[in-house]
Amino acid sequence: MPQTLFEKVWNSHKVTEIDGRTLIYIDRHLVHEVTSPQAFDGLRLNKRKVRRPDLTFATMDHNVPTNNRSLPIIDQISAIQIKTLEANCKEFGIELFDLHSPYQGIVHVIGPELGITLPGTTIVCGDSHTSTHGAFGSFALGIGTSDVEHVLATQCLVMDKPKTFEIRVDGKRKHRHAITAKDIILSIIKKIGTAGGTGTVIEYRGEAISDLSMDERMTICNMSIEAGARAGLIAPDDKTFDYLKGRKYIPKNYDDLVDSWKTELVTDNGAKFDKTFAINAGDIIPQVSWGTNPAMTSDVTDAVPYPDEYAKGNKSQEDAAKKALEYMDLKPGTKITDIKIDRVFIGSCTNARLQDLIEAADLIHGRKASPNVRVMVVPGSQQVKKQAEEMGLDKIFQDANFEWRESGCSMCLGMNPDILSRGERCASTSNRNFEGRQGSGGRTHLVSPVMAAAAAIAGHFVDVREWL
Amino acid sequence: MGKVIKYERDNIDTDVILPGTYLKLHDYDEIAKHAMEGIDPNFHARVKKGDFIVAGKNFGCGSSREHAPIALSHCGIKAVLALSFARIFYRNAVDGAFLLPIEIDETAYKKISENDELDINTEKNEIKNLTKNEIYSMKPFSDIISKIIAAGGLFKYKPD
Repeated sequence: MPQTLFEKVWNSHKVTEIDGRTLIYIDRHLVHEVTSPQAFDGLRLNKRKVRRPDLTFATMDHNVPTNNRSLPIIDQISAIQIKTLEANCKEFGIELFDLHSPYQGIVHVIGPELGITLPGTTIVCGDSHTSTHGAFGSFALGIGTSDVEHVLATQCLVMDKPKTFEIRVDGKRKHRHAITAKDIILSIIKKIGTAGGTGTVIEYRGEAISDLSMDERMTICNMSIEAGARAGLIAPDDKTFDYLKGRKYIPKNYDDLVDSWKTELVTDNGAKFDKTFAINAGDIIPQVSWGTNPAMTSDVTDAVPYPDEYAKGNKSQEDAAKKALEYMDLKPGTKITDIKIDRVFIGSCTNARLQDLIEAADLIHGRKASPNVRVMVVPGSQQVKKQAEEMGLDKIFQDANFEWRESGCSMCLGMNPDILSRGERCASTSNRNFEGRQGSGGRTHLVSPVMAAAAAIAGHFVDVREWL
Repeated sequence: MGKVIKYERDNIDTDVILPGTYLKLHDYDEIAKHAMEGIDPNFHARVKKGDFIVAGKNFGCGSSREHAPIALSHCGIKAVLALSFARIFYRNAVDGAFLLPIEIDETAYKKISENDELDINTEKNEIKNLTKNEIYSMKPFSDIISKIIAAGGLFKYKPD
């Protein structure tokens, strides 16, 4: 029977069935400082070991400051969390990319860049954006701390088999640089909603997906969770195999593996998905979120919607839109391009890879940030930072008065020193515009790196197609 | 038995259930002090042991932080009754045996009001509203979820 790519990965990782659920073998486990301490406590309490420390990799990214690394960490609670991860990795024999490692970075940026992420594998991490790794044709999903402990102890996870969801992005983007992977995924979430993918694993397919680079595919898969999906994946192709070739942790028999992946890791002709959605890339233009979840997003050419029009008769949607506009301090009918901003954040596991930084730098070259806007550029990893500096991107950003910082999750999630103040409005390349996400009372607009960079220069949103 | 704290909204995300800044905390009771702070700063002061949260669709969407069900559970919340749940929150709630994620229908969602006193019987899949003298049905837990709940979490559960 023809199978989807996901079904093949699932079936090849089945260990056994238990009470109607499936025990799935986990190939790679990524660990960070925030969702792991209680899991290691649990292991100690029950005198358990980490079953496969060789398949487990750790870094610190969520709470780390992104200023000068030679300075001590002022926040003592964060410092303790970081030290705890160091001690746990030492005790349990897990490789750690610590704050002084040349490989430190956001866990979802370093996995692929070190070749830890591989096609056809199962990958978990105590972080919802683990879906990012699906860009390589892996089944990658976020788990909570109890499950982190379970995987540390057993290298397995008990799961119900998810449904399959095909999302086709056909056609070509009208403008390769102005219309980005971020605009594609925001357009999809806008249409299917924040629970549109619940219970499913999405496979992104179609011409516009094949056209994307690996960095861009990661942006797409990264936000699968914002549509409620368990995971998102893209079938690997030559771009995938070329990206991984020569990376630090790929297996010795990599070339042989590529040969088998080429034939095995595809959705068979005639395979049936449980659900299908299609969108044409030619219809997509730059996107800006206006509300407090990622589905509350508009075309840059639109105005902030009237709640009743947005809700189309759905009372709870209308209430949600009203609450969102109140929180965001926006009036319906305001043109998106008239919204002024205070801060810009270019970073996060969604958009802090080299291509994101190159595109933002190209756009602002020779321009300066609006004097009213504070701009942070936070590379996703030390490797991204190094490559960007070798290309001189740091100079371009600094000449424009953009801050060039050290790698980490930074202003994506409001748990390290990089936060918004109450009432501040931010154009952000991150993934969530939830209330208080970037700091209590902060207001987040989700955009692509080029849209964020353009907004930084203009002081308000602009249709970046006019600049490129 | 416990009283209802009702949020008439969909998409209550884990960032409002426990804002990111508190993910640094290790002590569960300290974490609990900041539960729901993102949309309801008085929550910790008014919640009592055995209380219920009632909410709309996609409760617990967003981050995989287990701190979210931990925060609610250590405030005393026994169950969250919602029209639907985000996957990771649901799983965390069950696997860690923190609280019961109970799916209700639109009728129950509309009829249950703030401060109503409820009693939940998971064997009969019944929600009794003692204040209004009404009974609603809940979506039964799947077989394995019931077993994990009965065992007291994933680590205590042993397959037959």
